Amino acid sequence: MKTYPVPDPPAILRALLLACAGDGHGELIAGDLHEEFLYLCEERGDGVGRRWYASQVVRSLPELLRLRIRSGDLTQLLAVLASVAAPLLLLDRLWCFVYSHIPLKDGLDRAAGLLAVNMAVLCIASAISGALARTARRAATLSLVSAMGVAVALWASVGAAPAWYIAGALLAAPASSLAGYKKWRTQ
Amino acid sequence: MAKGDTVGEFEFLVLLAVLRLAGDAYGMRVRREIAERTARDVTIGAVYATLDRLEEKGLVTGKLSDPTPERGGRAKRSFQLTGAGVDAVNRARRESESMLQGLAFPLPGGSR
Repeated sequence: MKTYPVPDPPAILRALLLACAGDGHGELIAGDLHEEFLYLCEERGDGVGRRWYASQVVRSLPELLRLRIRSGDLTQLLAVLASVAAPLLLLDRLWCFVYSHIPLKDGLDRAAGLLAVNMAVLCIASAISGALARTARRAATLSLVSAMGVAVALWASVGAAPAWYIAGALLAAPASSLAGYKKWRTQ
Repeated sequence: MAKGDTVGEFEFLVLLAVLRLAGDAYGMRVRREIAERTARDVTIGAVYATLDRLEEKGLVTGKLSDPTPERGGRAKRSFQLTGAGVDAVNRARRESESMLQGLAFPLPGGSR
C-alpha cells in the first residue's frame, strides 16, 4: 500500500505565528492550527489546508499582538532593550564629560579602559536580562533584543568607537544574555 | 454590577461554545463550533484573545493537557465555565430575552 507523507504547515507562517503570539499562547495556537490543518489536508487537499492556515495566521496577527501586549510580553522586550541601551548611553555621557575636561581630547576615540568599562556593564545588563527567560526560545529572543540594545546605544553615542569594540559589544551582549539564561536554568 | 461582570456579544458566543463542548473546549473546537453554528468566519486569534479576557474576568478556567502527535507535539488547553461564568451566561440570556420580549421577528425594514 502506498503511504503519503504527512504534510507540515508552512514553516514561515508558523514562525510568524510563534514570533507574534509569544511562547505562552503561540504553542497552544500552533497546536490548534496544526490539528485543523491536518484535518483539512486529509479532507479537502493540501492546497486548501495551506491556504486556510495562511489565512488564519495572517488574520489573527492583530489580535495576537494585542494579546501579547496585554500579557506584558512586549513590555519585557522593551524593558530589556532599555536596560542594555540606557547604561551604555549614560556611560557615553559620562565619558563625554570626562573628555571635555581634558584639553584637545573632546571628540576623539574612547580610551581602551573606558570601552572595557562599557563592555563589562553591557555584559552584566545582558546577563541579568537573559536570566529573565524561562524557555530557550525566549532566551534566544532576549539575547537578540540585548544585541539590539547595544546597536541602539552605539548609534546614539556621541563618542567614536573602534571597529573591534563595536563587533565585540554586538557579540558579547547576546552571549552574556544566553550565559545568564543558562546559569539561571541550572540553579 | 461591576464592568467585568458583563459580557460582550462575542464573549457570550464563546461562553456558549465552551458550555456546548462540555469538557473538551479548546481554542480550535470553540472556533469551529461558533463558525458552524453562526456561519461567521472566526479566526483562532479572536477566540484566544476572548478566552484570555474571559479567564481574566474569572468566567472560565483553563487546564493544560499532554502534547499529542496530531498537534505537532504540542499541548492543548481546555476551558470550562466557572460559577461566575455560569452566572454571566444566565444573566446575559435573561437580559436578551427581556429586551426581545414584545418584538415581532423577523423585523420589518431589514436589507434582506
